[in-house]
Amino acid sequence: MSAWVALSVVASGGAAAVIRYLVSRALPVRPGHLPAGILIVNVAGALLGGLVLGLAERAAISEDLQLIILTGVCGGLTTFSTWSVETLELLDNGRWRAALLNVGVTLVLGIAACAGAYLLAR
Amino acid sequence: MRLVLAVFCGGMVGTALRFTIDLALPHSDAQFPVSTLLANTLGALVLGWLVGGLWTRPEVPQWLKVALGPGLLGAFTTFSGVMVSLVALSTADAVGLAWTYFGATIVLGFVAAALGLWTGGRMAHRLRRDGLPDLELPDDGLTQ
Repeated sequence: MSAWVALSVVASGGAAAVIRYLVSRALPVRPGHLPAGILIVNVAGALLGGLVLGLAERAAISEDLQLIILTGVCGGLTTFSTWSVETLELLDNGRWRAALLNVGVTLVLGIAACAGAYLLAR
Repeated sequence: MRLVLAVFCGGMVGTALRFTIDLALPHSDAQFPVSTLLANTLGALVLGWLVGGLWTRPEVPQWLKVALGPGLLGAFTTFSGVMVSLVALSTADAVGLAWTYFGATIVLGFVAAALGLWTGGRMAHRLRRDGLPDLELPDDGLTQ
């Protein structure tokens, strides 16, 4: 791996984090509702990740580009920490149904998006 | 604009740290992804600790909050990485391992976040008791 690839991974991770930040700012968390911003970026990142995994299986994408998109773009765009902390905050505010829904919807849509994109792209 | 720059810088550091752990603990598509599990558990713990503790302090500037929260820890942890590993493990005929990884990620991640929120809250409580002014945590949607 060249230094340029490593630098591209890190820079695209930073840029993708900015996109996540702007999306979550545009869709602020409303009390008792699902944190839609994080849900959207997490599902979008899972879809892109599945797509790259599928393309990689038939060698339609270089290893460098795989690394930049998977580790940089998808990794920076999606987040586990915010998802878990926001879910627990819903729970802490007594919104246990919204908390459970946030876990369920994120996981179901995330797995469906990733597996679906993989199956279409491979 | 300054906040966006703070998120960008934090995001680069978080991505670099996750990338380093990936390189230090490599795994094939059919192996248990220890590196992602480690990053997600650690990231959830630290974010919970910050949100429950230091974030409630009035003296912590907004740029530092977004650099560490949505920036560093947001980029350090990954949801897509978990999904991709689940699909990769399943297609590599390691379905049992995929379920184990899935369960470990959810249980460890949420327990770590809860532990972080709890210990952070206790620390904030101690700071208040020691005479520093109280401040309600504003619901500004910036806890990410």
